[in-house]
Parts: sequence; structure tokens; C-alpha cells
Amino acid sequence: MFSWNKAFIFKLIFLGLFNAFAVWAAIILFVQRNYIFLGVLVLGVIVINYVYLSKKNYHLKYIVPGTIFMVLLVVVPIFYTVYVSFTNYGTGNMLDKQQAINQITGRHHRPEDPREFYFSAFKDEDTDEIFVLFEDREDGSLFLGEDDQAVPVDPDDPRLEDTTGDGEIDTFEGLEKMERPDVIQNVSRLERKEFEYDDSLMRMRDLNRFALYRPSYEYHEDEDKIVDLRTGEEYFPEEGHFVNAEGERLDPGFQITIGFDNYRRLITDPRITGPFIRVFIWTFQWAFLSVATTFALGLFVAILLNDKTMRFRKLYRVLLILPYAVPAFISVLIWRGMFNPSVGVVNRIIEYMGLSGLPWLQNIFWARVALIIINLWLGFPYMMLLGLGALQSIPGNLYEAAAIDGASRWQRFRHITLPMVLVALAPLLIASFAFNFNNFNVIYLFNEGRPAIAGAQTPAGGTDILISYTYRLSFEAGRGSDFGMASAVAVMVFMITAVLTWINFKYTGALEEVKENE
Amino acid sequence: MNNYTPTWMRVLKHVIIWMIIIFALFPIVWSLSASFNPSNTLVGQPLIPEDATLDHYIELFTSDIHPFTSWMINSVVISLMTAFFSVSLTTLAAYPFSRFKFRFRRNGLFTFLLVQLFPQMLMMVAIFIIFLLVGRSFPAIGINTRPAVVITYLGGAIGVNTWLVKGYMDTIPRSVEDAAYIDGASHFQIFYKIIVPLCKPIISVLFVIQFIHSYSEYVLARVLLNTTERFTLAVGLHMFVQDQYGARWGVFSAAAILGAIPIIVLFMLVQDHIVTGFLGGGGVKG
Amino acid sequence: MKRFAILTLAVAVAFGLLAGTAAASEPGELLIWADADRIEVLQEFRDEFEEDLGVPINFHEKEFDAINDDLGVEGPAGEGPDVFIGAHDWLGELVADGLVEPIEMDQELIDQFEDVGMEAFTFEDDIYGLPYAMESIALIYNRDLVPEAPETFDEFAEIVRDISDEDDKYGFALPQPDPYHTYPFMTALGGYVFGFDEVEGWNPYDVGLNNEGAVEGLSRLNELYADGSVPYVDFDTMEGLFVGGELGMMVTGPWVFPALDDADIDYGVAQIPHMNDNPPQPFVGVQGIMISSFTENPILAQTLVTELMADEDIMYRFYELEPRPPVHKAAAEDAADDPHTAGILESAADGTPMPAIPEMSAVWGAWEDALDLILTQEQDVGPALDDAVELIEEEVQN
Repeated sequence: MFSWNKAFIFKLIFLGLFNAFAVWAAIILFVQRNYIFLGVLVLGVIVINYVYLSKKNYHLKYIVPGTIFMVLLVVVPIFYTVYVSFTNYGTGNMLDKQQAINQITGRHHRPEDPREFYFSAFKDEDTDEIFVLFEDREDGSLFLGEDDQAVPVDPDDPRLEDTTGDGEIDTFEGLEKMERPDVIQNVSRLERKEFEYDDSLMRMRDLNRFALYRPSYEYHEDEDKIVDLRTGEEYFPEEGHFVNAEGERLDPGFQITIGFDNYRRLITDPRITGPFIRVFIWTFQWAFLSVATTFALGLFVAILLNDKTMRFRKLYRVLLILPYAVPAFISVLIWRGMFNPSVGVVNRIIEYMGLSGLPWLQNIFWARVALIIINLWLGFPYMMLLGLGALQSIPGNLYEAAAIDGASRWQRFRHITLPMVLVALAPLLIASFAFNFNNFNVIYLFNEGRPAIAGAQTPAGGTDILISYTYRLSFEAGRGSDFGMASAVAVMVFMITAVLTWINFKYTGALEEVKENE
Repeated sequence: MNNYTPTWMRVLKHVIIWMIIIFALFPIVWSLSASFNPSNTLVGQPLIPEDATLDHYIELFTSDIHPFTSWMINSVVISLMTAFFSVSLTTLAAYPFSRFKFRFRRNGLFTFLLVQLFPQMLMMVAIFIIFLLVGRSFPAIGINTRPAVVITYLGGAIGVNTWLVKGYMDTIPRSVEDAAYIDGASHFQIFYKIIVPLCKPIISVLFVIQFIHSYSEYVLARVLLNTTERFTLAVGLHMFVQDQYGARWGVFSAAAILGAIPIIVLFMLVQDHIVTGFLGGGGVKG
Repeated sequence: MKRFAILTLAVAVAFGLLAGTAAASEPGELLIWADADRIEVLQEFRDEFEEDLGVPINFHEKEFDAINDDLGVEGPAGEGPDVFIGAHDWLGELVADGLVEPIEMDQELIDQFEDVGMEAFTFEDDIYGLPYAMESIALIYNRDLVPEAPETFDEFAEIVRDISDEDDKYGFALPQPDPYHTYPFMTALGGYVFGFDEVEGWNPYDVGLNNEGAVEGLSRLNELYADGSVPYVDFDTMEGLFVGGELGMMVTGPWVFPALDDADIDYGVAQIPHMNDNPPQPFVGVQGIMISSFTENPILAQTLVTELMADEDIMYRFYELEPRPPVHKAAAEDAADDPHTAGILESAADGTPMPAIPEMSAVWGAWEDALDLILTQEQDVGPALDDAVELIEEEVQN
């Protein structure tokens, strides 16, 4: 008999532990003012408690765990990417506005008559105060840092004592001079000290000296402007930079939202729209051929190796999984070397057979062939694995019945194996299509989208796919990388892929399959 | 299956397979050769190196600044954890889609797939920031920790793989559970004691796939891990060849070869669970 | 199966829960980002540093280019380093992003380094880095095949053709498509990337890649590709050929020396052949140590860099690990004892630093594509370069 009491108690204990843990975590988050995550945690706790305590909604109990991870780690970054696509985040605009202001106003310059002062610092352990004595070695004058001012001090001032008789001041008001290790210990405090002197500020220059500086810029919050203190020029924020009347910019710039600008550029920039059709067609071919060839070979091998009477089949499977076990990028680089037209192995073999070598890297067609071969090599073990799995779900008695009916091997394959495998794997094939549609690693590693097309007004190469090409544009922008643009690219490509996938599903009736089981 | 395979056909099968194996192994054999070749180049060297040496392998284990062994351990641990939890999450999620009726059933599954399709490139920044913030309160799962990497990978657990498992589950006839329902079993007990064992082949396949996927992933791993001892193998390997000029191919090949061993071992252990000798997934015998 | 699952889970969880702490720039500690070779050297001196400063010094190893990429995100997020190593041509972007601090240096310190290194790290009148190595490319030749280095391009072309006529050997190769390596051939007769003005600096609106000199120089090189004397290969293949004794000459930098030494090749390093008596001007790249503007320890970082790292021994150790000529004058003198290094220095003497402005990123792609089309004989030199320059100018206008 199955009793539900035990299970129920089990569930309560788990939930209880979970809630206790959640409370502990919530306290930490609250104390650390990590409010965003606190909110997330609270939401999560509510959802989990609701789902697992309610008597209905069975399905949610199974789906919620995986979904939580998906939401936190995939959906949230997607939202972030979408957000970035509406900004100008990129080289020159990496900081937020306050950080940019801090950077700019933190700049100092030396006045025309730059003076330096060797310093001695003295710390009162009881009051924790630090006193600084400055000496201008050029003229021997002494200053004391008092209340943000550097005040001249007479060498005979009784507070200063030379106890060792070496001409150097060793004590101040009885306090010992700090040696270098002590200076280092207190360097954060010393770094922040600024003493006014003679229209400038005395600030720490290194572990031995202070020097005179003047701030170069000042920020006026009321008018939201930055003033250059040397020239008086005013800079106002404009499109992510502080700009003056002549249009000169101050670096660094900062992030701002720019609405749909990135998308507008995507749609109207001739460098993108020009080759769009050509690149799109190849992208589609690339994805389709990748799936078709890997599936064909993978399934073929799976069927061969599914035969329990075949000797060495386990060894064969292990050997054939190897391409999948070696990291893709080393494999692609090796293949690239092998396809080198001048010295690569592939051409050497072809020439050995009496034919002339093929221009794998220079000719668009052959470059594409090479890429398909490489992707086939990389992907067929995956399909083999899937095929092996799917084959297990086909009831054996179907084959027996067919054999009795006198069906040939081919007929058995065509009418039993293939349809059932396709039904099981259709979603994965479609997903593989979508994945390859955006799979630019292989393309990029092989030849970065080349061969280039002569006379093209755009830098799209012959093997570039949609995403590799548009990303390149974003990361080789006129002034460095444009993450905002790259995000917009990601969103656009996603939308295209989503539509294609949806069409695929409709066409293959895979969605209907779900409906049938309802 | 047919018992009367003529000999010539059997031999032909082996021949064909060997041809495919050659295709599959060729670049790997090349890599193996490079790993024994004293000069650090990848192409343009003969298949059997002239002064074969074990130097690269030795360097892997003795280098102070490149803790290869740590990398391997990190990769294996992370991948095992990822595979285990990922498969659990996926199988759990697949069950209701196969067995229950509820709203959003059709679209839910499709949505999972769709979410997985979003180009991952820029997610790195978001993920980095997430774990940065989390790490400030809970350093054990923050930046530069193994749990952070595993959790990140689990984000992609349910997606198209849920379809895969669901499809397999669909082939298990309802009659199997009906008996248990009548006996008063809860749906979770049915799930755990009946359905899951029957799905062993597909779960095993998924385990291998997830392990390999996690093992070779390096974009997110590189973002999350920043001290050398914590790198995964994939990240470490990438560093060997990051130099545009002067890539250290010898050591790299050696590391790649050794790095493939856990995957092979795993596959050898798990193979038997995939091809079970079970005639189909759903022997219903009373 | 069940047991297997539980066992792996237990083991994995046991290992997996080992906690970690993230290290970032924190007051009272110094964090350095560097690549593997540099970290190796710095580790050797770490005890000295820690003793002198009395603060812990930590390292994060990163791929060289990753340092630049990650700095932009991690610096502002508070997870960045105090000190990092990098290339001088990053400065344009780094300054535009507000990620680096100027470093105060006394004239005494500046004098310890070669001018070209200091110039490379000077941007708009501020010094942003302590240079430690410079690199340039030169003609590397296999003495067995080429007993004496050619001085003029015509001599050079003859030698190349002679050697390539033999089976299984090539006279010359360059990594392709590679603007950096091909640049010297385009500059000998007057080509340039961006115009340079003493006062204004680099002018991104003046692109000289398709001027007469560039076209002429590249055409001469292309003749060798056209008749098959020079194969169209990538860097690894070129290196492989040279190491295998199948390549007479190549042009590249000191990063190949270790491989050549290992393979016992008898090689010489000389200036790249002159065209019409004009020396080629290869790019000079300088690497240095910089301070992040998000550091929590500005003074300590500065002390570390200007006092502790500006040391002849450290500079020489950098050189020993990776044979790029040091910029530190005393260390460079020692390094110049090695004839190969001396060859690089000679070549660099005629070189120009790579422009550090952010607009450079718009240049490489189009230039590469042009080289690809030209050297595979798909398009003529003139039109291809014109196309490339048009693309670049468009990008820069943006």
C-alpha cells in the first residue's frame, strides 16, 4: 500500500527547512542592503510555498525548480541585454554619469610654479590624529598641515624637536615620526588629505612627498555642467559626453539610454542592409545543411551500432564519440591547418591522388564546403547519441511484426525507424537548426567569415553568417566596441530565429504532437 | 532484429564504420602527434614526429603557473554536478508535459525552447554582475566559485532537452501507470519508481550530453572564474593558445588529449545504460 | 545506476561546496592582473615587494587580451585590479573610458627608459604606463638556406624565387592575411595608417593606406605571391615551415625565438630589405605596466610601479621569459648582447609606434580583407586598398 502520510510529512520537513534557510538568507541580504536580491528571494519563497503547499497544480511542482534557474540565469540576462540595446554602452561610454564626473573632476595639474615638499607624519595613538610636517628642500621652509591649510612654521618652533641631532626633525609635540611601514599603514588617510596653500592644494605625491596641485575641473550640480578651471570653458552633457561650445568632448563619456537608435541603425545602415539577403541565404543554408548532414550520418551510425550482434560495437561507439570529446576550438584550428591550400594535408592527399588542390580558403564555394565538413565532424557524434537514445524507445515487437510480414531492411527503416525517430527528435533537430543559425564560433575560428568579396561596399565575407557579421560591425566600430549595438543585434537575430523556429514547428506539426497527447 | 545477416553484409558494415572512424579520428591523431612533437607547432609537421618527446606532458604536471591537475578536477566536478542536477531538473520538468493536462502546456514547452535560443554573447556581463552582487552577501556562491558556474549552467537545463525527455516518456504506455494509480500511488511515486527507471536510456544520453556541454563550455566559465587554480580545463586550454603569435601547441595538444579522457571514461561507463538491450521502452508485462 | 548517481553526487557536492572568495582592489592590498609569463616573473619578486611595502600582493592570471576586455566591466564594478600590464595601443580606448590613471614620474625615472617606450605610453601629455618591453618585426632567415641577409628588395626577391624553385621549399612567407606583418612593405615607399602631427597627434581622418607608396610597395610584394614563390599561409603554418627547415626567410617578431631555439635552427635577424634605399618602418608595439583609475590604493600602486618594478633585474627577467627587447636602458644593453635581439632593436629603430587612438579598431578588419583579396589574386592592389580605405573612413566618420 502507498501511504500519503509519510510523503506529506517529508514534504513539510523539506519546506520547513527551506523556509528557515530563506529567512536566514533574507536577514543577511537585508543587513547588507542587498534589496534587489532580497526582493527576488521573497518572491521565490512565496512562489515555492504556494506551489508546494497547494493541493492542485501538480504540474507546477515539477516545472518550478527548473524554471527558477531559467528565470534567474537566462531570462534576467535577456532583459539586461534588451535594456543595454537601448543604451550607448560601449567604448567611450562605459561608466555611469557619476563615475565619469568623478573621473574628470579627480584630475589635477601642477601649477606653473610646481613645488614639492618632503613630509614627515606624526600620529597620536590616543586621539588617532595625524599631523603632517612639510619641508621644501629648495629653500628649507617648513609648513604644518592644520585644518586643511598649510601653515608656515618656524624651524625653532618648540613643538619640533630634533632628538637625534642629525638635523632632521624627529618628534612633533612629543610624537614620534612615522617610518615608512607606518606611512604605508596609514596611506589611505594620508591620500585623502588636502591642504590649501597659495591658491593650490598640497596633496600626497608618493610615499615621501606632497606636491602642489590644482584641480582641473569642477562640477556644478545646479547647472549640470563641468567647468575647466584653467580656461573657464563650460561643458554640458550631450549624448553621453560633456561637450563644450565647439563640440569638443571630455573623456570619459558615460552611458545613457538612446531609445531605438541602435535598432534604427540596424535597419537603415546600408552596411547591414546591403548584404543582408545574401548573408541570410547562406546562414539558412548553413544551418540546414549542418542539421541534415549531422543527423544523417549520426543516425546512420547509431543504427549500425545498435545491433547487439555486432562485434566491437562498444569500442566503435567510444571511438566515434571522440570528436565530441575534444574541445571544439582545437579541432577547428586543426581542421583549418589541414585545409590550408598550400601545405595542408587535405590538399596533399588530393594532389597525391592526381587531382589539383582546391582553394579552400580563397574560394567562397569551397570555403563553405570545408565549413560544412567541419561542422559535420563536430556534430555527428551528438546526433549519434541522440539517435541511440531515440532508437531505444521503439518497441521491438514492431520490427518483429514487420519481419514476419516480409518487409525488407529498407522498408523497416523507412516506415518504422525513421518516422519514430523523427517524432522523438524533431524538436531537437529544429533546435539544432536554430543553434547553428547563430553558431558563429566555427565560422569565425575557421577564417573569420572570409573570403572577402571584392568590391563590396560592406565588409561581409563569403562565409559570414548573420550574427558573425553584425557582431563584427559592433565590435570593430569606429571608436572601439559598441555593446549597445551588439545587444540590439542579439535581439534582432533572436527575433528572426524565433520566427523561423516557430515556422518550423508549425510545418512539422510538432506542436500538434503535443496537442494530441492532451 | 533479423538474425540472418549475411557475412558479406556484416563485413561491409565494419568496413563502413572504419571509414567513418578514420574520418572522425584523423584530426585527433594529428593532435596526438603534435603533443609528442618537441616544437610547438600544429601543422606542417609529419604525422610521426621525429624526436618524439614526453616533455609537453611532463610540463603539464609540473608547471607552477598552470595547475593542469586542478583544472581537470574543477572541470570534472563542475561537469558532474551540472549533469546530475541538470538531468534531474529536465526529467522533472518533462513529466507533466507528458502526463498531465494543464493550461499553457503547448506554449510552455515551446517557450522553454525559445528562451534557450537567445544569443548568449552578451549575457556574460549580466551574469557577472548577478554573481558579483550575490557574492557580496554569500561569497560561497559568488564570483570565482564552483557553485556559481554550476548554477549558471543549470539556467540552461530545461530547454530543448525537456522536449527530448518528454518525447521519450510519451512512448511509455499509460497502462503502466494506471495499474499503480489504482493501487493508490501518488503521482510523484509513479514518477520516481516507474517512469524514471524506464527512461534510463534517454536520461543516460542526456547525462553524457550535459557533461560534455559543461566540460567544454568556456565563455561563461572564463567570466566567472578569475584565479588560476579555479579555472576549468576549457578556460585553461584557451589560454594556451590565446597568444596570436607563439601559441604553445605542443602543451595544448597534450592537455586536450588528456582532457578528453574523463569524457571517454564517462561514456564507457554509461554506454550500457543507453543501449540496454531492452527491446524498446515500455515492456508491459502485466 | 542509482548507486552510481548517488556516489557521484556525494563526491561532487563534497568538492563543490568549497567556498571561494573573490579578490578585488581593496584598501591595504594590491591586486595585479597580468598574463602567465609576466606573473611568473612577478611571483619571483613578490616576497621582496611584500617586504618593502608591507602589504599583501595578489595576482590574477588572465589572457593578455582579456585584461583589456575585462577591465572595462570589472573596473567600474569595483572588481578590478590596482595594477595591470598591457599594450600601449590600448591607451586610446582606456583613456576614453576613464580606466587608467596617469603615473607621476620623476625625470630620473623617465631617463632610465628608451624614448620610444616612454612616448608610446604618453597620451596627451600624461604618462600612463611604465614600459617594460617593446616588440617589432624583422627579417628572420635560416642561415642554412640563406647565408647572408639581402639588403635590398630586389636581392630579396631573387633569393626568394631561387629557393622556391626547389621542391618542398619556399623562399619566404608571411602570416596572412595580416596587416601588422605586411605593414613594413607598405611603408618603405611612403604608405602610412594615420597621419601624425607633432602637435595634434594621430589624425584619424587622414588615412594613407592607399597612397602611391603603399600601393607600389604592396604590389612588389604581391608579385611574389602571384607567381607562387610565396605561399599564402597563416602564422602557425609559417612557423611550422621555418622550424621544419623548409622556409628560407620570414618576417615576424621575437616571439618565435623560443621555438626556433628549441628546434636548433641556425637563424639570423636582420632589417627588412629596403625598397629604393628606403628602410621599411614596421609597427613598434610597447608593453607596460599601468594603474587602474578605480584602484583603492593609488599611492601604493604608484610606489609599486615606479619604485619597485622599475628595476633592472625585473626588466631583464621579463626579457628572459619572453624575448622581447626591454625598454629599460640598462636591461636593454645586456639584452643586446644577443644578436637576435639586437636585430630586432635595429629593425625597431626605424619603426613607428602603433597609433593608440580608438579609431584603430576600425582599421584592421577592412585592411585584412583587402590583403586577403589582393594576395589571393582576386583583386588588384589599387582598387582593393581604395575600397578598404573607403570603408575605414566611413567607420571613422561615425
